[in-house]
Amino acid sequence: MIGEAFTLPTPGALRWARRTAFTVIPVVIGVVLATFFLLRLVPGDPAAAILGDQASDASLAALREKMGLNSSIGAQLLDFMGQVFFHADTGNSLVFDVSSRQLIAARAGISMSLVALSVVFTAVIVVPMALLAATHRDRLLDQLIRIIPAIGLSMPIFWIGLLLVLVFAVRLGWLPVGGSVNGFASLILPALAVAITIAPPLIRSLRAQLLEVFQADFVSTLRAAGLPSRRILVRHVLRNAALPTLTLFGLNVAYLVGGTLIVEKVFAINGLGALMFEAIGNRDFPVVQGIALFSAVVVVAVTLVTDFAVHRLDPRNSRPGAQ
Amino acid sequence: MLALPGRRKHYRLIAAVAAVAIFVSGCSGSSDAATSAAPSGAADPQQPAGSSASAAGTSAGVAQAGGTITFGRTQAPTSLDLHNQITANNAFAIDKIFESLVSFDADGALEPWLASKYESSADGLTWTFTLRDGVTFSNGAPLTPADVVFSLNRHFKVGGPLPLAAPITSIAAEGANTVVIKLSAPYTPFLAELAGFSNGILPADFGGVAEDKFFLKPVGTGPFVVATWDQGGDLTFTANKKYWQPGKPYVDSLIYRLVPEDTQLIAQLQGGQVNAIDQVSPANVAELESNSKLAVSNTPGWEIETLFFNNLDTHFSDRFVRRAVSYALDRQGLVQATSFGTATVAGSLLPPTIPDYNAQTKTLNFNVDAAQKELKQSAFPDGFSTKLMVASGNSKRAQEAQIIQAALAEINIKVEIESIDLAAFRERFRAFDYSMMINSALSDVADPNGIISFQADPDAGTNAYWTHYNNPEVTALIQQGRTKAEGPDRAAIYAQIQDLIAGDAPYIPLAYTPNIKATSATVHGLVVLPNGSVRFQDAWISK
Repeated sequence: MIGEAFTLPTPGALRWARRTAFTVIPVVIGVVLATFFLLRLVPGDPAAAILGDQASDASLAALREKMGLNSSIGAQLLDFMGQVFFHADTGNSLVFDVSSRQLIAARAGISMSLVALSVVFTAVIVVPMALLAATHRDRLLDQLIRIIPAIGLSMPIFWIGLLLVLVFAVRLGWLPVGGSVNGFASLILPALAVAITIAPPLIRSLRAQLLEVFQADFVSTLRAAGLPSRRILVRHVLRNAALPTLTLFGLNVAYLVGGTLIVEKVFAINGLGALMFEAIGNRDFPVVQGIALFSAVVVVAVTLVTDFAVHRLDPRNSRPGAQ
Repeated sequence: MLALPGRRKHYRLIAAVAAVAIFVSGCSGSSDAATSAAPSGAADPQQPAGSSASAAGTSAGVAQAGGTITFGRTQAPTSLDLHNQITANNAFAIDKIFESLVSFDADGALEPWLASKYESSADGLTWTFTLRDGVTFSNGAPLTPADVVFSLNRHFKVGGPLPLAAPITSIAAEGANTVVIKLSAPYTPFLAELAGFSNGILPADFGGVAEDKFFLKPVGTGPFVVATWDQGGDLTFTANKKYWQPGKPYVDSLIYRLVPEDTQLIAQLQGGQVNAIDQVSPANVAELESNSKLAVSNTPGWEIETLFFNNLDTHFSDRFVRRAVSYALDRQGLVQATSFGTATVAGSLLPPTIPDYNAQTKTLNFNVDAAQKELKQSAFPDGFSTKLMVASGNSKRAQEAQIIQAALAEINIKVEIESIDLAAFRERFRAFDYSMMINSALSDVADPNGIISFQADPDAGTNAYWTHYNNPEVTALIQQGRTKAEGPDRAAIYAQIQDLIAGDAPYIPLAYTPNIKATSATVHGLVVLPNGSVRFQDAWISK
């Protein structure tokens, strides 16, 4: 792929760009609107969350007025839309003295590092496992690789997180139990928890694809030509087999981002996940809306990148003159 | 109550005497001696009670200067404005920065603070406060009467959740170090309320800073100064080098570390990522106590775990039904099981840490026969079905609810437990949309009037904690208690109120929830106040 990055866009690429533009914008707008209305449908009063249970009705009413919670839903929606389009913000937090954008910006870094590390760990788990299973087809190793991930799939992410903490942090003391003060080391266990939960279907898919490509005619041709089998496996088989798995990964991106936000809670990482839980609990509307908007954009962006990677990796698109 | 060492009892006696006296002179050893004890090689002669509990067996020793305390808390402070957003969470950060004219100690006894002396006129209408010498703000400006006048006036203007309830007619500066406050009627809880978070003193006109900027980097007389504040995350304080208590605080800095998960709090303390934590769930106390590297403190507080009835409900508007429930509950068993022995059984709506608590309150204690008799006299002699609302995500409350459900089944009251998220829970009880709920109340002041007004006065703006309890006899006694000077007569009024409420059972106090904190064994001298806040100016770290 090196040296091919500057080729002119193929008609296929243009089609892809058009398609994404027509899906991305409606998806993001839909998510933002759905969050706005859902938040206001659930019971709960941000003023009560701020002032606690013992505040009098009078001081609660005064705070609601100050926060602009007494205006109509329509007016709140207009105000909110104005904030989004003119300030790229979702308004000031009702609880903290700063804008949602500032709160989110301060925490996006650590959450995005976690997402990125989860992707790396997923690849590190999926590729070798699938290769091992495919090359040892129907032997014990293959059976194990097919059974163990199924167990992972049946466990909720927070449970996996807790198990990892118990083993690697509490018992063995290799890694911090949580928090985000230890830099990279703090992110290893949570990223691993996310990777473990999204890896199983990907391992299955890649294993099946590898087995299919092993049977393909071009592999026999390459073997006959005397290419070393390792090179055949990595350069040709894996590249062809990876496409459907990447597509499947693209479909799981929302799960990846969602899983990251949940796992933050288990590991007390003060990122967007922690902020989101607190904001929901406090009914801090602007912040929840901001995180929803940000997550939607991230999910869409990662999906696009995956789509694009699939598109570029597809041998049919990367040969000059290919349609 | 905790068993206190004998030496401490002696101080408690002094504190009690001081609290009863209307005129308190702070120029003797009672408060100033403590402040002159710098870390000079002698142990602080006045280690408050909280410290002996905080680091069990290690508080005796020479205070060493330096180091950082990283204090794990489950919530991030949202605002440092002491008038506008005074939640417990914010208050425990605010009281490191701002201090009041009077304060209270670990036992809830009032003590002189920024005022070294205060006295009231014979009619209780004029209060004169003498400011302590040598107090400066963290920016170096001296504390003046004008600052006090400005601060209390701003509190009046803003109102906020902890309003100054005293009938104040004027606040005036007199001379170089005196403030005179006049009331239109005697109001006994005045001093106790003045010790509250919202009556901290800030520089007049915000020290020349714009009001909205001031509270991001506030200037106060307290032991700590805000160094950095990541909104929604950690708050880092550094020692106020100009603090009026010489040599204090001992530590260089204090970090409020946000750890939004109870289990993580414990794990990070065990892992050494934090060296003090703000709360320990009762289930984890034994585990932490068995760890020699840690110290757990359990001190009595002002919080009461309570089963509340909606007194407008079809069934619970019937006094006999409420009394039947009170008799049907084995509180001893319930509290032992759900608090793992860390809490004490409640007999009165006042906790023992509040003056005029009556240990002889006529509580309707566990007695199934009596419960059945009460129910037979009610409009529902054959029992009924009802709902008990709890906020989800609180395992202790879920357990309490199940025990209550089982106990009431014995007298034919079928209880369905309704567990809903906290925000919805709050909305429901404020709308009287519940039959029974479990919640807790926390007193803001070291005076019986606080919690009693809040839970029994129909005119206090909280509808008797949204139970709608209204007993004119109690209301009249509450009025008397507010104006009666401290002493046996006032105690008798509150004893009567506690008996009447126990008999009417508009709610059932279950347990006095203690303040449980834990630290590394190297952290000494934390003072835990009954409101749950921790004083860090006396804390130090052994190397």
